[in-house]
Amino acid sequence: METLHYLSLGFGVALQPENLMFALIGCFIGTLIGALPGLGPANGVAILIPLAFTLGLQPETALIMLTAVYAGAMYGGRISSILLNIPGDEPAMMTCLDGYPMARKGKAAEALAISAIASFMGSLIATIGLILLAPLLARFALTFGPAEYFALFVLAFATLGGITGKNPMKTLMAAAIGLIIATVGIDLSTGTQRYTFDVLELYEGVDFIIAIVGLFAISELLFFIEEKAGAGRGMIKVNPLKLNWREIGMIFPTTLRSGVLGFIAGVLPGAGASLGSFITYTLEKKIVGKKGYFGEGDPRGVAAPEAGNNGASSGALVPMLTLGVPGSGTTAVLLAMLVSLNITPGPMMFTQNADLVWGVIAALLVGNFMLLLLNIPLVGVFVKILSVPPMYLLPIVTMVAFVGIYSISHSTFDLYFMIAFGVGGYILRKLEIPLVPVILGLLLGPEMEKNLRHAMQISDGDWSILWGSGLSIGLWLVAIIGLLLPVIVGPILRRRMQAAKATTQD
Amino acid sequence: MSQLNDRVFGLVMLVIAVAYYYGATQFPVPFGGSEAVGPETFPKLLAVILAVCSLYMIVKPDADNPWPVSRTFLELAIAIVTLIVYALLLEPLGFILATTLAVGTLCWRMGAKPSRSYLTGLISGVVVYVLFNYGLELPLPLGLLEVS
Repeated sequence: METLHYLSLGFGVALQPENLMFALIGCFIGTLIGALPGLGPANGVAILIPLAFTLGLQPETALIMLTAVYAGAMYGGRISSILLNIPGDEPAMMTCLDGYPMARKGKAAEALAISAIASFMGSLIATIGLILLAPLLARFALTFGPAEYFALFVLAFATLGGITGKNPMKTLMAAAIGLIIATVGIDLSTGTQRYTFDVLELYEGVDFIIAIVGLFAISELLFFIEEKAGAGRGMIKVNPLKLNWREIGMIFPTTLRSGVLGFIAGVLPGAGASLGSFITYTLEKKIVGKKGYFGEGDPRGVAAPEAGNNGASSGALVPMLTLGVPGSGTTAVLLAMLVSLNITPGPMMFTQNADLVWGVIAALLVGNFMLLLLNIPLVGVFVKILSVPPMYLLPIVTMVAFVGIYSISHSTFDLYFMIAFGVGGYILRKLEIPLVPVILGLLLGPEMEKNLRHAMQISDGDWSILWGSGLSIGLWLVAIIGLLLPVIVGPILRRRMQAAKATTQD
Repeated sequence: MSQLNDRVFGLVMLVIAVAYYYGATQFPVPFGGSEAVGPETFPKLLAVILAVCSLYMIVKPDADNPWPVSRTFLELAIAIVTLIVYALLLEPLGFILATTLAVGTLCWRMGAKPSRSYLTGLISGVVVYVLFNYGLELPLPLGLLEVS
């Protein structure tokens, strides 16, 4: 009952004309971002943060727009998977398996429509899941003390590499680098200057928005230049759409199963959207069995991973909103938005900023309908933009990143900083050190230190308080499992994903 | 298969970890005497973690990814220099001119024809300038084009 009350409050926020407009803009830009290879959702949202900031939007409007971008990017990823056989983002990889063969058979429009419907179902199921689960989790999280929070942050880092992550030590190192950068600046509780080297610009610490934009956008540009991928690739033409209700009916059970499974994968730490789409695809293949023709353009093979990854991406918002601990790169960037709006993420948000949280949740529902409506008739527009080769697109994106950062502070110092982060990001990616933990470290560093301090003040300097309660021991255990599991299960899973991918490449 | 990348990077990070730890020991004692957890505790913890990871990377490095050589490396260097020059010229030249140059150069180096590249730069610069100055009312510098 209470949830319904809050949800109607949320709709009150989400349906305000201004918010509706920005949600629509966000959906459109998001689909575009998702569709363009090399401009992943995390990257896209990162570039938009400074713009949302300088526009002076209301916090809820800004967050609604960026959440719409996030949801839209998950829709968009499928377009390039189906038409180019290049996933627009990582979770869309599984959509290539049946989407591209379907397109080659002259059924591109059907594949796009089916995947849009599947995305819609996946998101819808997961958003309902979010509405049911988030308040419960938030209430539970209120019992967390500083020691539990500290353990939770460790857990977040430990599971961030994901089960498919390659080298957990590199994840850990990335997290340490991020946390170390976060300690630069004036210490909040004592006023001590740390690692500022008497440079005035460093007193307030490193602005994580600059770091995020540099790490993602600039390093992406450098990668494209290195791979000489500027010209783009040949694309399959889209035929006129011929889809009947029977075909939609056929994929309906698939989308239901996959949406639920995807949502669960999204909520769990360390799983994420990539694993969500992988599991749903494999499961669907098992259930349908010999009757299907998976890998050769089975519509269910398109529907399952799309419902799965959209479900997972909405599911990933649960830990981000309730605990303030994001489980993926893009939710980390969304968290950055919250932090820079001076909103402390975590369970308190559900009581202190109820209109904001529920407004965003309601906007997810509204945005989902918008996306479905945008994606079926307007798919031609997106296809047009997709055919602009990256050699024009990426420089323009880089320019937008420059404008965004410049307009925050009107200082060129920030721009040099951003370029430096871009070069650093390029080097880290070359060494296969993941960037997301670096960003998460930057974001969570101050909170993590604050909680460590509080815990130690309570215990009067006794370190054992950090594993003093059953709950915190549980969190530590999950963290350790999260670090160890990739070493054991990771190679097997990765090989399977590779094998699945290899069978469709001719 | 060479494994030098990880070793070198591990070594650099190890040096940073040690320097970072040393830096933490040099913080002045905060006003009111030291506490159980001062400003130096968390950095010290991080330095230890970083050092352990670095050692691991030195001892058990992964296989290298190839670094770009000669031509490609030059292209990368050109791109980075272009970005730096863009930041440098943004205020003196003004947004539109600097953008034309920077976006144009990047497009050109990524494989587009020079004329089309700089045209793309000019158009995108003007569009974004108009959008920001008149649509969003966020002034961008006009630089040389400013008519006083």
